[in-house]
Amino acid sequence: MIFQQILIQIFHKFNQERSISAPYHLLRGKRSGQTVQDVGIYHLHNYFGILPKLSRTKYDKEVSALIEDNFIIVKEDGFYALTNKAAEQLNEMQNLPFDGWHYRGNEHVFFARLSLVIQSLSHQSAGKMSFIPLQKDEQVQHWTRKFLITNQYQDGQMQQRLLEEISYSLDQTSQDELGKELLILRLSGFETAGLTWQQISYQVNINEKDLQLIYIASLHNWLNEIVVHREQYPLLIQMADNVRIQNPLSGSAFQSAELFNSGHSIEQISKIRKLKKSTIEDHIVELAMNEPQFKVEQFVSDEDIEKVLAAVEDYNTRKLKVLHEVVPHLTYFQLRLVLARGEHVEA
Amino acid sequence: MLKLEEILNKYFGYSEFRPGQKEVIEKVLDGQDVIALLPTGMGKSLCYQLPGYIFNKPVLIISPLLSLMQDQVDQMKQFKEKRVVALNSFLNPAQKRAVLHYLHEFRFIFISPEMLLQEQVQQKLNAMELSLIVVDEAHCISQWGFDFRPDYLRIGQVIGKENRPPILALTATATQKVLGDIESYMEMRNPYKFIHSVDRPNIHLGKLMFQGREDKIDWILDHVTKSAGPGIIYTQSRSKTESLSQRLLQAEIPCAAYHGGMDPLDRQFIQQQFIDGSLEWIVATNAFGMGVHKQNVRQVIHESLPSNVANYMQEIGRAGRDGEDSLAVLLYAEGDEELAKFVGIDDYPVDAHVDSYLSYRARQELPISMVHNGEISETAFRVLDYWMHQLHPAEVKQRLTSMKIEKMRAVEEVMDLIDTNACMREKLVHYFGQELESKPTDCCQCCGIEYQSIVQPRVKKDLAAYELNWKKRLEKLLLGIS
Repeated sequence: MIFQQILIQIFHKFNQERSISAPYHLLRGKRSGQTVQDVGIYHLHNYFGILPKLSRTKYDKEVSALIEDNFIIVKEDGFYALTNKAAEQLNEMQNLPFDGWHYRGNEHVFFARLSLVIQSLSHQSAGKMSFIPLQKDEQVQHWTRKFLITNQYQDGQMQQRLLEEISYSLDQTSQDELGKELLILRLSGFETAGLTWQQISYQVNINEKDLQLIYIASLHNWLNEIVVHREQYPLLIQMADNVRIQNPLSGSAFQSAELFNSGHSIEQISKIRKLKKSTIEDHIVELAMNEPQFKVEQFVSDEDIEKVLAAVEDYNTRKLKVLHEVVPHLTYFQLRLVLARGEHVEA
Repeated sequence: MLKLEEILNKYFGYSEFRPGQKEVIEKVLDGQDVIALLPTGMGKSLCYQLPGYIFNKPVLIISPLLSLMQDQVDQMKQFKEKRVVALNSFLNPAQKRAVLHYLHEFRFIFISPEMLLQEQVQQKLNAMELSLIVVDEAHCISQWGFDFRPDYLRIGQVIGKENRPPILALTATATQKVLGDIESYMEMRNPYKFIHSVDRPNIHLGKLMFQGREDKIDWILDHVTKSAGPGIIYTQSRSKTESLSQRLLQAEIPCAAYHGGMDPLDRQFIQQQFIDGSLEWIVATNAFGMGVHKQNVRQVIHESLPSNVANYMQEIGRAGRDGEDSLAVLLYAEGDEELAKFVGIDDYPVDAHVDSYLSYRARQELPISMVHNGEISETAFRVLDYWMHQLHPAEVKQRLTSMKIEKMRAVEEVMDLIDTNACMREKLVHYFGQELESKPTDCCQCCGIEYQSIVQPRVKKDLAAYELNWKKRLEKLLLGIS
């Protein structure tokens, strides 16, 4: 159910202006110019990359189900329309606190570290330091070993400190109890095995896929609490190290942005980097989306910005082609900048 | 030098060897090649681990299954062995470089056949001295075996140097034919053979015939509510594990589904729960078993026919590792053999794949694209690719056909167990080219068997009530307070 609701919401936000595949690329967090720009244009930061391993087959199956259940209608040109039934769904929908834009699957690294730390500390409390690690990834194992030693786990004090950090930080989040339960039920320790999705599903009577989505949203929500109040969580913040995307720009866009910020023009950057002008423009749009201080006004006059935003309202569209007809004297690049403007991600 | 028993005690904490271990180890220490057939649970890995503490040079262990390799490394690390490493495709380039650089400093080096065939790995191995080469799951080398791994055939070419250390080939399951293949392909030099009896006298062999598939499920539901586990129910498909486990849960049997497509963490949780006793039954595909070290499994039920006798043997062998009486029941409903045949050849290359392979080549495209284009599975492609390099296309087709027939025949051999009125135990042992020395009481369905005298009646436990309160659970995990 939740997955379907998320799909409907994404389709809705795309305002029938993107193909049936667009939500798939969004959910997987595809790092192409188009998908990344769409995130800005259509306010879809929360869902970006929440399911990096989603398979096309699985996606197609879910979309077919939406069609069959009469939520969406596919048109001949490959585009689609939402039905009234879908509109009703949107009103009833509960919004999960996803923050895909800033985590993109990295939340699982955080959880893997946490899980191995808890397993280790649990065995230490029981006086039994030999066990088979749940996490097989060598990097996670190596990280955990270093973490335990740097934080002097031998004192036997770490358990209490970590317990307090976890309890307090989870209490601070807006997540309902189920989300918190899921996080802790997926941990294992000495003589306390974690629960499988099937077991939790049986217990709380919610299907496994939905549980996993609630779990991911809860991780995002929790991580945001930890990152924002980092000084309160000296242990957890270490586990969150390098998990949140600090610089959401793609590698190439980042290089262009550096040049732009140091005073080069688009033409100059294009020459220096031996890339097409349109590519550099893509990068600038990405920069505008991600940098709150970015001044769109250096490319578009205030007056024109107003015009574009008014057109978006009047015609209820974010389709560049339509907007271009309304304000024909602006380039596509300028239009994209305006759309990206104001929707930049709040850091 | 310490006596072998003292080393055994010092490093492993056992006071005596299990049958076969000492003979195998002595021959290996003498520098002789050895083929050892030791049934599951008879301590195969000790045969190379113990010599590892006597030699001053690394032991190289070639292992075909990544999950098994991981499990072995975990086990050794758990017993405080730090100088152990797994060289496989899970490593990223930086990790791989680091491992290769320090390779000679490890005591035990686990390696996948794919990795062994890589140029830079071979260079490193050639430049260092090894004390012993172990080929684990050696039956994978035989193309007539059910587990054929083409890469295994090339191991012989890579390690068969003049001055190589001794080779120890280990397997839990090999017919006479397969044993012969191991010896010749691995270019072994007059190997010493230790062939343990494949018979497990404490496992009692039941079988039951039904009209319809649903009747089997009814019997299982009735049986598991009355008799005690812990036990494993093997079935064919992933979806079947899910649906059957749901039925059992509804009947308030603590159980869980297990298959290869599950979340890796879920699989760990299930193993942990099965071992600590909170789960009574596991409903699994054949993905379950390897690396699960539970001594007191009392029952193994086959809801569907295994694809060959060797698999059957391995799967029932997970019962009764503690030596206590255990029950294995093979269930059959009309038409099951057709299903088993279908499953057996499902993931196998066919003639059309040969043609497709050729047209890729003609278009100067890489045939591996067949996998990426979803035409063929990766395992099937490996087999196809191997034969396309060895034979003419027409011969490949012949070869594939005969292998397919072989696989169907393998199912027929399992059917013999169902059809026979003679001793099932004898049939199993003969399959491996051995003679049965004696029959236990309650031997098998044909000799006469009383299920109730083997397994205990079930003492009903409530389904475990999970602690859902996250704060309480967290306290239990970290502080041990419940």
